Amino acid sequence: MNEDKFPGHKFLPYILITPSIAVIIIFLIGPFIQSVYTSFFVSTTFGTNTIFVGLRNYIRLFSSPDYLNSAVVTFKFAAFVIIVGLSIALAIAQLLNQKIRGVGFYQVALIWTYAISPTIAGVIWASMFAPSTGLIPYIISKISGGYTLNWMTNGQLALFIVAAAATWKMLGYNIIFFLAGLQNVPDEFLEAAQIDGANPWKSFWRITFPLLSPTTSFLLFVNMLYAFFQVFGLIDIMTHGGPGNATEILVYKLYRDGFIHLNTGSASAQSFIIFFVISVVAIIQLRIVTKKAIYSR
Amino acid sequence: MNARKSLLIFLVFTLCLLLSVGTALAQPVTITFWHAMSGSRLGVLESIIEGFNATHPEFEVKPLFTGSYAETLTKYVAAYPSKTGPNIVQSYEVGTQTMIDSGAITPVYKIPEMLGETWDWAQYVIPITNYYSVEGNLWSMPFNSSTAMLYYNKDLFEKAGLDPNKPPTTWKEMEECGEKFLASGVVDHVYSTGWPDWIFEQALAIHDHLYADNDNGRSGLATKVVFNDDFGQMVFETWTRLHDKGIYIFGGAEYSANTAFNSGQIAMLIQSTSSLAGIIKAAEFKVGTSFYPRFEGYPVGNSIIGGGSLWVTKGQSEEELRAVWEFLKYLGQKDIAIQWHKGTGYFPVSGAALKTLLDEGWFSEDQAYLTAFLQILSGKRDTAASTGVRLGPFVAMREDLVSGLEKALAGQLSPKDALNEAAEKMNLKLKDYLELHGK
Repeated sequence: MNEDKFPGHKFLPYILITPSIAVIIIFLIGPFIQSVYTSFFVSTTFGTNTIFVGLRNYIRLFSSPDYLNSAVVTFKFAAFVIIVGLSIALAIAQLLNQKIRGVGFYQVALIWTYAISPTIAGVIWASMFAPSTGLIPYIISKISGGYTLNWMTNGQLALFIVAAAATWKMLGYNIIFFLAGLQNVPDEFLEAAQIDGANPWKSFWRITFPLLSPTTSFLLFVNMLYAFFQVFGLIDIMTHGGPGNATEILVYKLYRDGFIHLNTGSASAQSFIIFFVISVVAIIQLRIVTKKAIYSR
Repeated sequence: MNARKSLLIFLVFTLCLLLSVGTALAQPVTITFWHAMSGSRLGVLESIIEGFNATHPEFEVKPLFTGSYAETLTKYVAAYPSKTGPNIVQSYEVGTQTMIDSGAITPVYKIPEMLGETWDWAQYVIPITNYYSVEGNLWSMPFNSSTAMLYYNKDLFEKAGLDPNKPPTTWKEMEECGEKFLASGVVDHVYSTGWPDWIFEQALAIHDHLYADNDNGRSGLATKVVFNDDFGQMVFETWTRLHDKGIYIFGGAEYSANTAFNSGQIAMLIQSTSSLAGIIKAAEFKVGTSFYPRFEGYPVGNSIIGGGSLWVTKGQSEEELRAVWEFLKYLGQKDIAIQWHKGTGYFPVSGAALKTLLDEGWFSEDQAYLTAFLQILSGKRDTAASTGVRLGPFVAMREDLVSGLEKALAGQLSPKDALNEAAEKMNLKLKDYLELHGK
């Protein structure tokens, strides 16, 4: 602490941050330590019997094809949501940043998907693709002459649909930030480039995109957290992780093992693994991407 | 001035204290009841509880909707150590073994004895109480029980040139009927099911075939599943073949297939009998119901019970326990059981209620309500296989079975391999459960 800022009150800064630290300890660090501890045990549902099993929960996970499958699914899912989601959002934001008539309407129309709750979004997408009553399977069946589009038995399709729904759901959020970033790009730079003879494509990649890098790296981070954790609601409503575990991302598996199957040991081990993976990815992102982002101009 | 003021405060305070003591004396014994009934069932349940509270002024039941069955169980588990749980909790049938092993429960058969009463348990419908009994003693109060049956759309049968009074009775007939339907072009797919895991359990039980060893986990904790034999394979193969032909369309978990049936997209549905009231209300066609289709040439068993039952938390005071017991008795009363049955389609639990329904012509008015009873009362009930499965980690195991079935239907694995893979995963879960609970 910088004592100069609080002359004569040596402990004041510490007292001021105590509430936040207390909240963090009680609600984050405490449960975290407890779940690491729990991950070395197996226990009956009501805790009547607990057996120390060492690393068995971890070994089971890493030797279980289902868990490895879940990891692969998660990365596929996250890659889709991040890459496709951000690309589309950037393209749309660029279009919305033009001086066209009624731009305010388009902005709102494209952004408000973010305001829909995951439950509602899940229900909308699920009923759109419902195998025997949904609109899209119906259209496809009529066009193709009887092909049955059933995402309840086609795992790849289910994963694609869930990922598309998740991307669509996050689109509004991404567009807002990209739009804000784009509006901060000074016109003088673009005009100067224009005078120097750069075409729009070139000036976008050489000027706008580098200047957007703080926004992009922020969105990369937020979307990663979104794809790993917050899509839970969508998956729970749409597929329950099925068919055949095809959409069971890590967080969803954790939820099912911990709260439906009441297997706290395995769920704790899973939460530690996810914590570890996310920390590594976050550190890499913050170190590399943020350093490369251009903050000053 | 000051002294007078404090005297006044003292007087007011004393008055308040006296008043509150007075009201406390007159207050009824309150018991809490956690349940998982949503939708139209919630309304029926609430009116039943209001009726109880009105007719029993000395008791008050406070119901609380705690989410799905799984969520309710999770909350119950979390609340138990701190003794903040309810007096009564509703659990689904797959949670039965978990509850029995929990050490948190007073079995209902002990309650009358604890209160100095005797009670004749035979007044309840036997196949239902059998499911929730351990060595002949009832552990939880059956409340919302159902079984699986075949629903069919009579109008579509006529449209396809089939006899609407002759629904398929065997899986062979399902296939033939399905082919005729597809040839007629009336529908794109012919049938679907709810609860694929439970429908598979039904297929085994109806043919008196065990699901797991140690008598389906009823005579001791099960150590392995036994369905992955020729019979189980035949079931999986039949379903996969019907799926490949386009007759069967996989409808997902629980009740999601009902929409397709209600809107006339498919002609038949194998679903819980508890959907009956909802389907009759939603359907704009004549609904027929019949028995679950059989595989010819295999032994006769019985369809099994699904749904939920009520469990009583251990360690309650005597007056609380009395309130709980009065409430449980009330639920089994003739009129209440009838109200519950008519409002939802679940079985009325008492024999007397059945008789009254029969006498007043409820079943002849709409025969559809009779099918489930005839089915469950016409089968065998002296074997473990026909009574139902009781496994510790049943919730998780069912998911393994469903993903096995999904893999078989998608052609990812052969029916045989899918079944074996599911069985292997399920056996590991049974082994873990045994390790923790074995004596």
